[in-house]
Amino acid sequence: MTFFESEIKRIKESNFSNEKQIETVIGIKNFIDNNYDTKLNLDFLSHTRYVSKYHLLRLFKKYYGLTPRQYLIDTRIEKSKLKLSDGMSVTETCYAVGFESVGSFSTLFKSRTGKTPSKYRKEQLSRSKLNS
Amino acid sequence: MRVTIISIPVRDQEKALQFYTNTLGFIKKKDAPIDGENRWITLVSKDAQDGIEILLEPAPLHFEPCKVFQDALVKAGIPYTQFEVDSVDSEYERLTNLGVEFSIKPSTFGTVKYAVFNDTCGNYIQIAETL
Repeated sequence: MTFFESEIKRIKESNFSNEKQIETVIGIKNFIDNNYDTKLNLDFLSHTRYVSKYHLLRLFKKYYGLTPRQYLIDTRIEKSKLKLSDGMSVTETCYAVGFESVGSFSTLFKSRTGKTPSKYRKEQLSRSKLNS
Repeated sequence: MRVTIISIPVRDQEKALQFYTNTLGFIKKKDAPIDGENRWITLVSKDAQDGIEILLEPAPLHFEPCKVFQDALVKAGIPYTQFEVDSVDSEYERLTNLGVEFSIKPSTFGTVKYAVFNDTCGNYIQIAETL
């Protein structure tokens, strides 16, 4: 066994051996992946897995390195990029990925990607025209 | 400041170019002569062609400590870097069929599934999928 393998084994046994916990947290992540377009909050997520919301927050952060809220926002932004590239309007995209205000969606999108959703959409569409 | 490049040290740039494109499936983005046989070669992912580029750099050929470090990582089985995939299992199958050698078969670690292969250019590379 290499040094890498023995270290992985050691760390896994000491810090990542709680299978039930891992299953719970993966279940929460899958739930967000499949329901990012709906109104999701910590109370709701904790009910789906029968864990307290503070426990859930701690677990999620431990395994994924970010909070469920941050993960949800990242997922929505990634999905919105796909929809904008497909030609969906900014307003439609905003609601289709679960945001409730076009203004705050645009601001958030710009802070994450460096451009507004409408500019991003225009660039992607002209690019796909060039390629076709 | 922006992140646009990650570099991977390789023992043979041409061989690395072939392996990273033909076998792994990356696409060549830039290829410019620098000095002698040395080139500035960068690659991108097929589905993120305006994304981060991989630079295949010939450092181990010209700077001994880089070679020593690379050898030490390989001896310890430590991957030089990691690529994200949609499915570790299907990539493992696809690459194995293409003759790629894996030092670690698909395994799980917490909420991550991973595997490690030999890039034939002096490095182990890890592929990972978030579960």
